[in-house]
Amino acid sequence: MNEKIKEKVSELLKEDKIKGFLGLREENGHIMPHLFCDPNELEFLSIGDWKKVGGARYPLNQILIQLAMAYPEDRFAILVRGCDERGLRELFKWNQLKEEKIVLIGIGCPEELARACECEKPFPDSLIEGPQGEKGDSQRVARIEAMDLDQRLQYWKTEFDRCIKCFGCRNVCPMCFCKECSLEEDRFVKTGEIPPANPTFHLSRAIHMVGRCIDCGLCEEACPAEIPLRTLYKKITGIIAEEFGYKTGYNLEEKSPFNVIEVK
Amino acid sequence: MEFKTVLTTCPYCGCGCGLLLEVLDGKVIGTLPSKTSPVNEGKLCIKGWTVHEFIHHPSRLVQPLVRKGDDLREASWKEALDLSVRRLKEIKEKYGPNSIAVLTSAKCTNEENYLLQKFTRAVLGTNNIDHCARL
Amino acid sequence: MAKKRLTVVQRLLEFSGIHPERLRMKWVSSAEAAEFVHEITDFAEEIKKLGPNPLKVKEAA
Repeated sequence: MNEKIKEKVSELLKEDKIKGFLGLREENGHIMPHLFCDPNELEFLSIGDWKKVGGARYPLNQILIQLAMAYPEDRFAILVRGCDERGLRELFKWNQLKEEKIVLIGIGCPEELARACECEKPFPDSLIEGPQGEKGDSQRVARIEAMDLDQRLQYWKTEFDRCIKCFGCRNVCPMCFCKECSLEEDRFVKTGEIPPANPTFHLSRAIHMVGRCIDCGLCEEACPAEIPLRTLYKKITGIIAEEFGYKTGYNLEEKSPFNVIEVK
Repeated sequence: MEFKTVLTTCPYCGCGCGLLLEVLDGKVIGTLPSKTSPVNEGKLCIKGWTVHEFIHHPSRLVQPLVRKGDDLREASWKEALDLSVRRLKEIKEKYGPNSIAVLTSAKCTNEENYLLQKFTRAVLGTNNIDHCARL
Repeated sequence: MAKKRLTVVQRLLEFSGIHPERLRMKWVSSAEAAEFVHEITDFAEEIKKLGPNPLKVKEAA
């Protein structure tokens, strides 16, 4: 079900409106990111369904930043789901990408994926193909909140203690673009110590994701220890929505409360 | 302009995790775990995640080195192999085959490791062969 | 800015099972000695009531 996408991208490429389309390519049963520069390649286009819907999603926004750095004058199109679009908006605001150089090719997530992600908005505004699905019900955070303080502490301690410090959550994150990372700072996270200081490592990262995390869930998918990172970051996103009314990635004009200094 | 990801196998250990090398204009710029690899299903350890870093690293060895006194000097493959053959023969004749040991690597392929044990046992004539994964 | 951060950190601590009252922020001027003493004493008492850091206790056991 990606005919409309192929049509649109093919048109953009033929009219020379874009240099390339960053999407996913299927080859020998494997799905991987690829920059389509020739419309004829589009027959290998994939939307990342593997074993289950959205089973092979990749941090395309992260790759786009690298492409834009190498070719700052060129325009690119990119395949986006609801979360990717939210991510791009934040990246525009953080000056990591230029809005006028990017064309969004939106795809809506089917109910199955929206529910599994407990996604707030499982379709992008730039929707070209796929459903305009309903918001998925959130249970992850509520499950933790039903516990008392001691139970929560035990729960997270057990989860965080499995960390093998692969840095996969940070490496895969499309919103992690810092050149220097406090997780590599010996004063905060001691080099060579596994598991890393509990809960400093994961909570430091969580605090850093405030106003950035757009709930794509790639961190949790990349975690070899299966730590429920998405629950943690969903909570973070929830906190700033409740406390400051800021919904990460929804409004291009509005800045994160941590990027605005109010003078009273 | 060309950007593609190349599916390959992590060279670090015997698990054989599938990973994608991000290649921009012929230069490897990053690694991603392969979501479709049945071995690791989109996960990697820290070594796999940083696997692209050594490819274009300035300290990477790209030529054989031969020891001259206290120094290591760059040499041609022919020179290095000739020296190895001559010295291995000399040592075997003078001190016997058990004076030689061979260390192979978990980063070699099965076939390379097979060849090395064959070489050690059949050519050098010793069972002194081991590998870096015996930690 | 610091106050905003404090709110987030406190709520995250609570979510992670650490009593949010273990973190407190107050504004006291260098001219307000009595106020400063009062705040520190009050916080010290609060912390004593809450007992030792649960993460450290469990590590020692």
